[in-house]
Amino acid sequence: MKNEDSKTKHMVLTAMLFATAIVLSIVESMIPMPISIPGVKFGLSNIVVMYAMFFLNKRDALMIAILKGVFAALTRGAVAGLLSLTGGVFSIVVMVVLMFILKEKGSYFLYSMSGALFHNIGQFVAISIIYTNMVWLYYLPILLVTGIIAGMITSVLLRFLLPALQKI
Amino acid sequence: MSWMKKRDIYLVIGMLLFAGALYGGYRLYVANLPAKAEIYYESKLIKTVLLDTGKEETFKVEESDHVTFHLYADGSIAFEHSDCPDQICVKSGKLHLVGQSAACLPNKLIIKIVPNNKNSKDDVDMIG
Repeated sequence: MKNEDSKTKHMVLTAMLFATAIVLSIVESMIPMPISIPGVKFGLSNIVVMYAMFFLNKRDALMIAILKGVFAALTRGAVAGLLSLTGGVFSIVVMVVLMFILKEKGSYFLYSMSGALFHNIGQFVAISIIYTNMVWLYYLPILLVTGIIAGMITSVLLRFLLPALQKI
Repeated sequence: MSWMKKRDIYLVIGMLLFAGALYGGYRLYVANLPAKAEIYYESKLIKTVLLDTGKEETFKVEESDHVTFHLYADGSIAFEHSDCPDQICVKSGKLHLVGQSAACLPNKLIIKIVPNNKNSKDDVDMIG
């Protein structure tokens, strides 16, 4: 990213990552879920946001999250768009704050998990606002556990994908 | 930056214990309260269904023809059929514990199981 044509390369890379995010969310929607709870997902497309966070910059990550929200709104309606957007923005804000505090003391797993967890929590906050009076005592444990699992999946995938991605 | 640290493992264990405690509290104090189901359309309560009547029936709501609900004799309720593409609502299965809910976002419908001890004078409709 440090050479002369970096601006174009940068734009192309962001666009490509966004396309990948969309493909991943389609793939994810085809995976049958054992439980279906509003806000709970593996967050495969989060891998892309995570990659952008770690190896491009935070603005690109936010951009991809916002584009994802717009795409969801266009294809699946306003509510889905709002959920995607709150989830994405929540997880990025939390990751940025954590990175700011911990810097190199953090770990990929920690950031992935926080991102996944707050993606779910963000979506659930939005659902609670839309549908009022959701029982947090019932959902919070589920959100915690699925956040941990999703974070593990994301960080493991990122670990294996990274060597390939670094060749871009 | 490392992939994972020992601290992360403790954090995960802590979170799991916390989640377990919350869930235990929920099961002990909330889950088995006498329940009713509330059906919302566009965030407005449109129907309240008592769950402990022992009746088995299939019904629709006026607001949406796309979705069929099923009330089971064992006191649970479910989205039985919906024409939405993702079928998340149908896959949510049978609900009977206070706090559970299922949503059909494409059809703007949601079922929520709530405790039955609230004043119900603003209920729109009663079954059973």
